[in-house]
Amino acid sequence: MSSRSTWALLRLPLPLIRICSGKWGLRLQEKPALLFPGMAASTVQVAGRKDYPALLPLNESELEEQFVKGHGPGGQATNKTSNCVVLKHVPSGIVVKCHQTRSVDQNRKIARKVLQEKVDVFYNGENSPVHKEKLEAERRKRERKKRAKETLEKKKLLKELREASQNITEKKADADGIPRGFQE
Amino acid sequence: MKLWGQILWTLLSVPRGRRGVLQGWAFNSWKTYSSLTGPLSATGMVNHWTRVFEERGIPEARESSEYIVAHVLGAKTFQSLKPALWTKPLTPQQLECIQELCGRRLQRMPVQYILGEWDFQGLSLKMVPPVFIPRPETEELVEWVLEEVAQRPHAVRAQDGPLILEVGCGSGAITLSLLSQLPKSRVVAVDKEEAAVSLTHENAQRLQLQDRIRIIHLDITSEGCCTHLLPWSPLDLVVSNPPYIFRKDMEQLAPEICSYEDLVALDGGDEGMDIITHILTLAPQLLNASGSIFLEVDPRHPELVSSWLQSHPDLHLSLVGVREDFCGRPRFLHVQKSAP
Repeated sequence: MSSRSTWALLRLPLPLIRICSGKWGLRLQEKPALLFPGMAASTVQVAGRKDYPALLPLNESELEEQFVKGHGPGGQATNKTSNCVVLKHVPSGIVVKCHQTRSVDQNRKIARKVLQEKVDVFYNGENSPVHKEKLEAERRKRERKKRAKETLEKKKLLKELREASQNITEKKADADGIPRGFQE
Repeated sequence: MKLWGQILWTLLSVPRGRRGVLQGWAFNSWKTYSSLTGPLSATGMVNHWTRVFEERGIPEARESSEYIVAHVLGAKTFQSLKPALWTKPLTPQQLECIQELCGRRLQRMPVQYILGEWDFQGLSLKMVPPVFIPRPETEELVEWVLEEVAQRPHAVRAQDGPLILEVGCGSGAITLSLLSQLPKSRVVAVDKEEAAVSLTHENAQRLQLQDRIRIIHLDITSEGCCTHLLPWSPLDLVVSNPPYIFRKDMEQLAPEICSYEDLVALDGGDEGMDIITHILTLAPQLLNASGSIFLEVDPRHPELVSSWLQSHPDLHLSLVGVREDFCGRPRFLHVQKSAP
């Protein structure tokens, strides 16, 4: 088996597994549910990130997690800032690396969230809510750009019209002999 | 162009080491620099300082330079920076700032003190030497306490609770994360160092949590400290990350720790048990009937604490839980008051 220094198989102690199922909303299943993509999937809730309905659940026993390399004695005796989490989903081979925050705990949660999305796309392809949302987001972006362009053109046109009418008024005043400041 | 030249030369002139070797190195780097594309970008600076740190034997060379450069650009981690900023040329002010901060890293100052801040459980806390820097493992201690509180609502006062005592609050990390995640909780936080009391107070104010915290400058190993705390009893919980390093292990601590952090916050005496035993002796007098103590400890302590509790039956405490940290080491203890 791989040594501790490279891929350490995740051995989450029982209490920690409780955290996973409680706080993170990821449900653990005994069977390898991912081999049967059609099976019931749970909603993932991670604070601050988008919720996708019904993504395939991640099975903790199929994940390999690598933390801080060479952490030394740990705890008070060490002061390490390398909080990067590398998370691998063994059956699909997908690897996610997360160093988004300064917290190991947060990075672990984010890594799981991102991995779950990638694994869902891997097994569900175009049917994945992740994929669909991405397409939808791209469509919305194109729409926004189009609308912005139209608005800009309208403004430009209005400006030109205004300037044109101002020129006409000024020319008329000059012809009448009325000082420019006194037009209505 | 002249200004850039000056900046580059300043950057490359690291403090002299032995045998004037650095002069030669600096010149070579200059040549390398001119052939690099975008040396004065964030990525370029990270690569440059990673090399410098590695050559000088500074641990976490890449992580240190990434955190410093990200910080100067206003981000908490390099990975969270907008990708466009990785290659954008840096301003002279930014370069100067990076230079100064990296210079401190060359003196083995911990990154958290260099940045003057660090995160804990999603909270941004001010860091000031020599107040103890929160360790990542300790986030797990907070998680455990939160879980237990969630599962035992009957043990917590209906009006406002739980009422928690933190021993050795340091920067306020544990206290403030508990307060922010338990909206009805109140904490009495004590520390024997004035600097820690000050910093916890400052961090509490920054997070607008000062209303639910009382911070006391108190040494819990001192005679009569109990009288100072009795007014707050009965407490629901006692939480602590007490100094727990074995005296003989203190010499193996990295320069980052020895030279900058308060060693009093680390030294636990011969078997690292000195403060732990004081807490365990004090707690029963302050806790309610089913109160709990949560501690972070050295991996050798679960057994030591277990036998110590057995040899002090008059305290009516028992070790009811041990939890591992993310490296798989037994790191946290749950001790509970049992019926007399």
